[in-house]
Amino acid sequence: MSADATATRGLVGLLDPRRYGIRHQAGVVGLVLLAVAPYLVPTVWVRNLTIALFFAMFAMSWDVVSGYTGQISFGHAFFFAIGGYSSALLNLELGLPPVVTVPVAVVVTVVAGLLVGVPALRLRGPYFSLVTLVAPTILLNVFILFSDTFGGELGLDSPAPILDFDDLAVTLVANYYLAFALFVGILAVLLAVTRSDAGAVFTAIREDEDAVAASGLNPAKFKVFAFALSAAVGGLAGAVFVHTPVGNPNPSQLLALTVSIEVIIAAILGGMGTIVGAAIAGIFLRLFQLYLGTVEYVVPVVDTAVADVDLLLFSLVTLVLLFALPGGIVRWAVHGGGAALDNIRGRDTATDGGRDPPDRDALAAVRESWREDVAAMQARVPGAEPGPDESAGGDRR
Amino acid sequence: MVDVATLAVNSVIISALYALVAIGFTLIFGVGGVLNLSHGATITLGAFAAYYASGGIVEAGVGGAVLAAIVVPALFSAAVYKGLIERIQDQPVMVMILTLVVAIAVEQVFLVAEGTQPKSIPSLLDGTVALGGSKFQTNLLVVFALSWVIIAGLFYTINNTETGKAILATSMTTKGAALVGIESDRVNLYTWVVAGGLAGVAGLFLGSFQTANFAMGRGPLMLSFAIVVIGGIGSVKGSLVGAYVIGTAEVVTGAINTRLTGLVPLLLLILVLLVKPEGLFGRELAE
Repeated sequence: MSADATATRGLVGLLDPRRYGIRHQAGVVGLVLLAVAPYLVPTVWVRNLTIALFFAMFAMSWDVVSGYTGQISFGHAFFFAIGGYSSALLNLELGLPPVVTVPVAVVVTVVAGLLVGVPALRLRGPYFSLVTLVAPTILLNVFILFSDTFGGELGLDSPAPILDFDDLAVTLVANYYLAFALFVGILAVLLAVTRSDAGAVFTAIREDEDAVAASGLNPAKFKVFAFALSAAVGGLAGAVFVHTPVGNPNPSQLLALTVSIEVIIAAILGGMGTIVGAAIAGIFLRLFQLYLGTVEYVVPVVDTAVADVDLLLFSLVTLVLLFALPGGIVRWAVHGGGAALDNIRGRDTATDGGRDPPDRDALAAVRESWREDVAAMQARVPGAEPGPDESAGGDRR
Repeated sequence: MVDVATLAVNSVIISALYALVAIGFTLIFGVGGVLNLSHGATITLGAFAAYYASGGIVEAGVGGAVLAAIVVPALFSAAVYKGLIERIQDQPVMVMILTLVVAIAVEQVFLVAEGTQPKSIPSLLDGTVALGGSKFQTNLLVVFALSWVIIAGLFYTINNTETGKAILATSMTTKGAALVGIESDRVNLYTWVVAGGLAGVAGLFLGSFQTANFAMGRGPLMLSFAIVVIGGIGSVKGSLVGAYVIGTAEVVTGAINTRLTGLVPLLLLILVLLVKPEGLFGRELAE
């Protein structure tokens, strides 16, 4: 697996074995491990791994738009829910098979994503985040308003499964491979796109949108494309998710605020703007969370079992991790490891320190552009900055 | 048939309460450029502090409850700023995520400690008052009056005291304020404390005529977004007007269909963001 944001070689370069560095070999080993995992772990963990794989897909779908273009979405659950609910509704109400409903759900999600994205992407920085933060809440309120159709806060019944066998263990393993195949497919597509020229433009937008516009490329077009791609991936993962035994079309699994936030946490912990980081951190984060839910150890003083306070512990651990490793684990490992290897092999260091511009911390780039946006916003508040048009907004509270 | 007078009084009262929440939210943003998503959790904290002080743990009466609802959230707010936000306040993404995680953690603490069962907080004053042909709880009128006293006090403080002017100056330009010797970190701390206290009082008020539960802060937080965006992010006067727009919209739509209450303010928010992103009291873009 490649975590190299600099590569613009495209798919051909990625398939060329001569290019495989250590981190790519590590990625291949990781994928092979995932491929044989059902034979290595107990059945209950096959189920958990399936959930984790879906969560990793959600995180990757966030990373392609927010990690790359720097348009931080706080409401990606909107996509997962639209995908999952459309597929489930088509199946439950019209009796269509999942083979038909899943592709239709993807189309519906992309259309919904464009409806929200096209106007919202005109807004910059925090305003875009606010709109995306509110979008899933609006959707949830619509679901509650039309509870007869959408099942309100309880959600819908389980739609028809894609893979179902008489033996529960076989069903779980089969669904694991379904999730794994989808995971690999999405990973491949997103890696190909983000390592292509379009991916380079995404990164450039994150760094400096005005510079992209100045070089004759339309940033809006690329942002909308990234948004639509992200919607398609999120919708696809959400749609397949509800047709497996691990997922159901209900707000707590697909639409809750915590879903949107966990996705962001996973992508940031893994390393924003790497896709691979989101995938790895997504898997581990969800596994860790599921593991916490099973710990029966009773904390002495407060007299509660760990399993009862799993969400609390989870949020505290993420707080610490976010504070300690804001750049992301994958980027830290790749760069730290790469630098160490170069030292061992005695490779020359480039005179400029060898830092490729797009390798800059994605978060740092977003931070910088947001700071400008925030400053611009504050300047618009009445009396914020002495200027020629002060009299126009001159009320001083 | 919906009683217009009742609706009008209800919306005026609830709007004053929302103004308390939104002013704190907008102060923090205006001064520090920080979107504090743990503001809703501070409301919950205020309500539970009042609950614990009025019989939950100790019996300190209504006065003790009010005091606890102000002091505990203000201290919490200061701790969040000093412990987490101060070091990363120039990283808006991290701030939004960390404050959200803090909010989730606080909610979880109350969920684990108190469960999902709502807790009742004693009314500030019992009884009912007849007004314009309909009866209202005295408690609601007290909430309304106190909210306005606090808002007026805040306006006076900001416009007339040294500290208030320092807050105002920092929200206009941090660099300029620094040049005349205003420490922006200290001003930030003040705004967090004030915002925490305001949110705590709002939590007490909200809990006194509804109930307190672990997720009670979410709704007001979402409404705060709508309010401050409508009023212009960072403008205190704007959030007062925005609170009345949103509060009225919520009460009126609630009378038509209760399931609409959560939806309309958010749709208003989206509409304003798309049509007039600088809000009612924001300045036109000088581009």
